[in-house]
Amino acid sequence: MSTASVATTSSGYLLVLAVMWPVIGILLSFVVSGRQIERLAWIVLPVGLVIAGATLIAVTQAGQSQIYVVGNWAPPLGIALRADGISVAMMMATAIVICVTGVFAHGEFSQPPGGPEERAPVVFWVLLFAIWSALNALVLGSDLFNLYVALELLTFAAVPLVCLKGKKETVEAALRYMLFALIGSVLYLLGAAMIYGAYGTLDIRLLSERGHAEPATLIAASLMTIGLLAKTALVPLHLWLPPAHAGAPAPGSAMLSALVVKGSFFVIIRIWFDAMPDLLSFRAAQLLGALGAAAILLGSVLALRQQRLKLLIAYSTIAQIGYLFFVFPLAAGLATGVAWSGIAWTASWLQLFSHAFAKAAMFMAAGLIAEALGHDRIAELGGIGRKLPITMLAFALSGLSLVGVPPSGGFSAKWLLLLATVMEGQWWWAVVIVLGGLLAGGYIFMVLGRLLASPTEVPALQAPVSRWRECAALSLAICAVLLGIWPLQSSDFLFIGR
Amino acid sequence: MTAGTVLASSFIVPLFMLVAALGQRTRERLSDLLPFAPLPALLAALVVPDGTIVVLPRSLLGITLSLDKPGAMLLGAASLLWIAGGIYARQMLQDAARAVRFAIWWLTTLSGSLGVFIAADMIGFYFFYTLVSLAAYGLVAYDETAATRRASTIYVALALLGEAFLLMAFVLLAAATPGNSLLISDAVAALRSSPWRDITMLLIVLGFGLKIGLVPLHVWMPLTYSAAPIPAAAVLSGAAVKAGVIGLIRFLPFDVSLAGWSEVLMVLGFVSAFYGVAIGLAQTNPKAVLAYSSVSQMGLLAAVLGMGLGSGSRAALLPVAFYAVHHMLAKGGLFLALGAAAARRGSALLVLVPTVVLALALAGLPFTGGQLAKMAIKDPLGDGVASVLAQISAIGSALLMLHFLYLFRAGIAEAPADRPSAAAVVAWLMMVFAALALPWFLFPTLDGASRADAFTLQELWGAAWPILIGGLLAALLWRWRTRLPRIPEGDVLFIAERCAPTVSRLGAAFERADGVLRQWPIASMCVALLVVLTALALAMPA
Repeated sequence: MSTASVATTSSGYLLVLAVMWPVIGILLSFVVSGRQIERLAWIVLPVGLVIAGATLIAVTQAGQSQIYVVGNWAPPLGIALRADGISVAMMMATAIVICVTGVFAHGEFSQPPGGPEERAPVVFWVLLFAIWSALNALVLGSDLFNLYVALELLTFAAVPLVCLKGKKETVEAALRYMLFALIGSVLYLLGAAMIYGAYGTLDIRLLSERGHAEPATLIAASLMTIGLLAKTALVPLHLWLPPAHAGAPAPGSAMLSALVVKGSFFVIIRIWFDAMPDLLSFRAAQLLGALGAAAILLGSVLALRQQRLKLLIAYSTIAQIGYLFFVFPLAAGLATGVAWSGIAWTASWLQLFSHAFAKAAMFMAAGLIAEALGHDRIAELGGIGRKLPITMLAFALSGLSLVGVPPSGGFSAKWLLLLATVMEGQWWWAVVIVLGGLLAGGYIFMVLGRLLASPTEVPALQAPVSRWRECAALSLAICAVLLGIWPLQSSDFLFIGR
Repeated sequence: MTAGTVLASSFIVPLFMLVAALGQRTRERLSDLLPFAPLPALLAALVVPDGTIVVLPRSLLGITLSLDKPGAMLLGAASLLWIAGGIYARQMLQDAARAVRFAIWWLTTLSGSLGVFIAADMIGFYFFYTLVSLAAYGLVAYDETAATRRASTIYVALALLGEAFLLMAFVLLAAATPGNSLLISDAVAALRSSPWRDITMLLIVLGFGLKIGLVPLHVWMPLTYSAAPIPAAAVLSGAAVKAGVIGLIRFLPFDVSLAGWSEVLMVLGFVSAFYGVAIGLAQTNPKAVLAYSSVSQMGLLAAVLGMGLGSGSRAALLPVAFYAVHHMLAKGGLFLALGAAAARRGSALLVLVPTVVLALALAGLPFTGGQLAKMAIKDPLGDGVASVLAQISAIGSALLMLHFLYLFRAGIAEAPADRPSAAAVVAWLMMVFAALALPWFLFPTLDGASRADAFTLQELWGAAWPILIGGLLAALLWRWRTRLPRIPEGDVLFIAERCAPTVSRLGAAFERADGVLRQWPIASMCVALLVVLTALALAMPA
């Protein structure tokens, strides 16, 4: 597409709305009292969901990207928001997870009736809006600097989520997370500056036309990629993830694991499949795939060895992130039109979305269990399944999606991914994928076996568990299962705009 | 109601019962539904015409169902066994604290167990196969003792391994199939020219071999059947195992003669057939003996399938299904006999006599379904070495079954006073009747078979002499019975369990590696290193 055609499309205003609507929510939160803020969320969340849905419909119907050019200044002078197939899919998944998290957080982050106003609920809702706005900006951004701004907003909204309850170890985990994420930011910014120096633009479309393999570009690209890997917690850059994701309150963990790590991954995709589609060499793609494979093995084995449920889930996230990186070796032929790349491309997005739903559901279920029992030691979970059947069902369904049991998004993703490895003759990834599924089966059945066991004494619940919150977790698990209806072939939808 | 609806209801009705269990009232009465859940499948097996094909809507995964002769036979017999098991389980679960949980696992396993017989596409087959394999975990783990925990853990680990083999096999099949078809028939037709033919075959044999207990993948069977409560052991040994048989029937390319693979199956099959007998004789638990007998019987079936694969024709499939049907009913009946005996201690002889008949039927006793089963597989086995080996294995079966009957009788005498249960007796009688009568009805559907053949002197003698020799051997062994070795259930499993510390050390090594990587200096160095590596990888042409 040439630069001349960059103009606002008919539904372009929706993109601005998607980014700005949560920001309006944030601004209003500073106006209304702390007690009103949750009520405010009841307006912001559904409207945001409608905006995401409308954008999805607009892009699907048009069959092409929707664009909004800010102030009618075409890039590279001005900036544009662009919604293609993968951005609206991300927007929709984000909206669903955020809305359900909102339902789930009700009660945990409500102002206590009667007592003095508390700080944590106010902060929580503001951060939730901020994460939403940042993610929408990130998936709609069309130049590398916009993406940087969105990434920073995302990081600074995500870090405080970890230590909302203010315990010492969570503050430590949050600091660890922030410092490492900042290293990532610095690398990314450095890379972006080099790109700007070389090409005089950061616009993704223009870069895809102008970019060529010269040392400065390659160094810049690797700086940006590794910076983003640090934020995505790909092994071996995962030091911050287990304490942060396991330490955060359940709604926070759900958003961090389901959405925030996917944000930085999305930017890596933008760099390699949109900005510099021709520059990803075979070796570099294999290197990224190998890191993914290492993540699957290390994360899964470590998950098997955890004694605390939330840590187990956090390590499972490390493993599941690994699968996403097979998109680089397997879909690398996308730009040149290799037929099977489309399968791998579809598989990777299915993996991303089904993991987002399943993992959010799982962290919610784990949060409810921990709340009910006052601890999350796996060995002492016996019998809780009978007390909280809906929670257990949510855990089981999301777990089965992670293992890749049909019907579920996890199964479809794994099937297509394996198909791609076979067709492209890269069988070594298939071995890791199958092994990862086995190990996942191990840790999921380990927990399910405990949940289902009926010890002589059924544990007493320390706190009542709200049926609504259980259903919130279950609904996301069902979303993960429903993704299994997706046809087992390359999806045209995810190719809109490319 | 169309034939398609009836066929689909075989698995939809039990799954719907599960959904209904979300309601409190249904949940409390869930175990009462167990005997009724397999009824639609029974109906389907009886009324749905041969060759019916249904494609379910996308919201039901677009599963394609079809019913052919082997599938219908197995579906009907399996639903009978599930009904009998359901009658027993319903009684067992009355006032039981874990009744709901058991009923949920039961219904899940049931829908998978029946679904595999009618699935015509790979995704549907894998779905049902997963249900029957993984949900059986809950049935095995029902009694929460150390033994059931060990058995269910080993079971689920091996079941997951089998799933992994099959997933990869199906992906390879799909990759070699032209177009986007996921139908099993298309995939198998394309297997001949698949560039991944041998690895696909290997994975298919490993995956289904695990399910039917081909040595050395049989270790879970004795553990599982000993640990599971009686109705669960009956349906698992009878019906669930046949998921592996139907898998081999569906996925092996019988239209072409595959050199090598036919021999592999035959060797594995006969080794299992004899190994099962040998180790079974060294068991003291009647449930374990029955499990080893399954290893042996399924081994024989694998050998028959191997012969069929070598001949490049589908002629062996219906006989194999017929043999499997008889094994399903007889084995189910024998497990249920263990429960009926406990319930009817006062009149043990009433239980003992039919059990003797049923047990020896597995070795081909004249006038029983067993004789017909042995006759059915005679043609596919040919008249070479395979036929001789099959007859020797019948002798072994007779010997093993006499060993079982000895333990069974001893067990009646010392069985703990269980709750007298009419349901146990009804369920058991139902299976005895089905195992003895049903084969006589089904036998004429086989090509070129007629009931009259069974009554010729030659056939009767052919069926009788292995049992007579088996009896003679049993009498000889009786003298040394105290000196027979005692082999723990799961025999070679101890080798795997000896590796446990090594595995655990490996895990600890991963944990240490994680600890090292998560230190600040190391992680920062990794960042720098990765930047350099990525830049180099980008710069170097492939």
